[in-house]
Amino acid sequence: MRVSDRFELPPDKAALHRRAVRLEWWTILFFVVAITMLAVTLGQSQAMKAAWIEDMLGLVPPAAFLIAARYRTRTPTTRFPYGYHRSVSVAFLAGAVALFGLGGYVVYDSAMRLVARERPPIGLVEVFGQQIWLGWPMIAVLFATMVPAIMLGRVKQRIARDLHDKVLFADAEMNRADWLTAGAAILGILGIGAGLWWADAVAALIIGADIVRDGVRTLRGAVADLMDERPLVVDGSRPHPLPDQLLMAVLDQDWVADAWLRLREEGHVFAGELIVVPRPDTDSLVERLERLEKFARGFDWRMHDLVIAPASRIEGKP
Amino acid sequence: MRRGVSLLVVVVLLVGGCGWPRDTGTTLADVRDGVLRVGVTESPPWAWAPDQGDPQGAEVWLVQRLAQRLGARIEWYPGSETALMPALKDRVLDLVVGGLDAQSPWIEHASLTRPYVTTRTFIAVPPGVAVPDDLSGVRIAVPAGTAEVAALTSEDADVVAVPEVTGSEGLPVVVGEWRLGDKLRASEHELAKQDHVWAVPPGENGWQVQVEHFLLDLSHDEVTELLLRAEDAR
Repeated sequence: MRVSDRFELPPDKAALHRRAVRLEWWTILFFVVAITMLAVTLGQSQAMKAAWIEDMLGLVPPAAFLIAARYRTRTPTTRFPYGYHRSVSVAFLAGAVALFGLGGYVVYDSAMRLVARERPPIGLVEVFGQQIWLGWPMIAVLFATMVPAIMLGRVKQRIARDLHDKVLFADAEMNRADWLTAGAAILGILGIGAGLWWADAVAALIIGADIVRDGVRTLRGAVADLMDERPLVVDGSRPHPLPDQLLMAVLDQDWVADAWLRLREEGHVFAGELIVVPRPDTDSLVERLERLEKFARGFDWRMHDLVIAPASRIEGKP
Repeated sequence: MRRGVSLLVVVVLLVGGCGWPRDTGTTLADVRDGVLRVGVTESPPWAWAPDQGDPQGAEVWLVQRLAQRLGARIEWYPGSETALMPALKDRVLDLVVGGLDAQSPWIEHASLTRPYVTTRTFIAVPPGVAVPDDLSGVRIAVPAGTAEVAALTSEDADVVAVPEVTGSEGLPVVVGEWRLGDKLRASEHELAKQDHVWAVPPGENGWQVQVEHFLLDLSHDEVTELLLRAEDAR
């Protein structure tokens, strides 16, 4: 049997992945432009600092995705005999930490502003000789950054489900967090204009709490992945159906008396061990096992690396 | 999202014109037909407080003009920036003026207005005197105790520190651009550039916008004229 190959995604999924790579490059471009636009309109204000940090964190998941995309299909080496699929899991962890960090920062920053009873000043700006309240161009810029974030997030979420790509999913969450904070900032600016100094901080606090919740969930998912949790669907809401389906299919083989399967996620794909108890008087067992391995890999594209061991009895199933 | 847009449009229409933005406190309402409490820091010719009588200076006169427009009576509080700026934060003062620069480090306590005028400091020469490109060894009259002394010393100029630059030293002198004219012409050496601002209590955005409208409507020539008048008044 062949113990290593570079294959990871079937052709249609690979095309989808290439699309995701392009999307992530667009995301990076978007964040760089957003950072520059914010710098121009907001000048030296505190709000600028917060937006800047948020956008910097927003760069982490797409960067992690793109780096992982370079490694994930590398052939296993003697040093990394399991291959590089897990680079995707590592990127997922990086993205989750960034998301959690963003939420934590937003909560901390807005709570501190509330405690310090900070009253944000927003004065006039001259645009083409017209004196207008700086709040309006700030809102315009924030709104302009919201629209692409919403669209990028939606497309990524769909692709992430199809690809079983959790990094991409975390990044979509990040885009959601991004447009939510921008929305909160717009409400905050309107509040400041109406003379409510606390509006900005309170809006950011509520959104920040939501991002923290999201971040904790994603972070738990990423850590559990590295702990070889059983495969979950991409948003982590329920177990992935593949392991059970595969086990049923194996048990359906007429020469298999009993079987036990454990699988873990390695980025996009699953790997694991299958123990089968052949019926007594099964002939040409080695050939049957080899055929079973081919069958398992053909069962679903995610089923990537399966070691099959025959045994006479299975004990101590969890 | 379409709902968000229409909400935004409605809000913009509602607030268009009628007192937007508003103060988080009540500064503008208190000042209008009331009392304007102004901190003044010593910074001639922008502002200075003589031993007797009201403060004088270009920005002091501008404050008087603003107060007149708002029907406010002015209370002057001369002091150092260290004393005045924290008073802004808690709205004990409504305004601090006196040659403040946009780079001043008081943004934790005060909100600085948008710069309303930019002034440059030049090495200027009386007719018949020349300034070489290389300043090393050149005698230049500089107001004593200013950063310009250090700037010129670092270029190896022969600094002649004077209490007051009069223009009749017969030397190249360091002056603000408003003093340039027939008697003093600018050389190519620009020593400093200052963006002038006033300071208002943070978050009093209605008041800040009022002050900024007033300041941004001033022309550069108007400010120069006031500065010259202030120089004469001293």
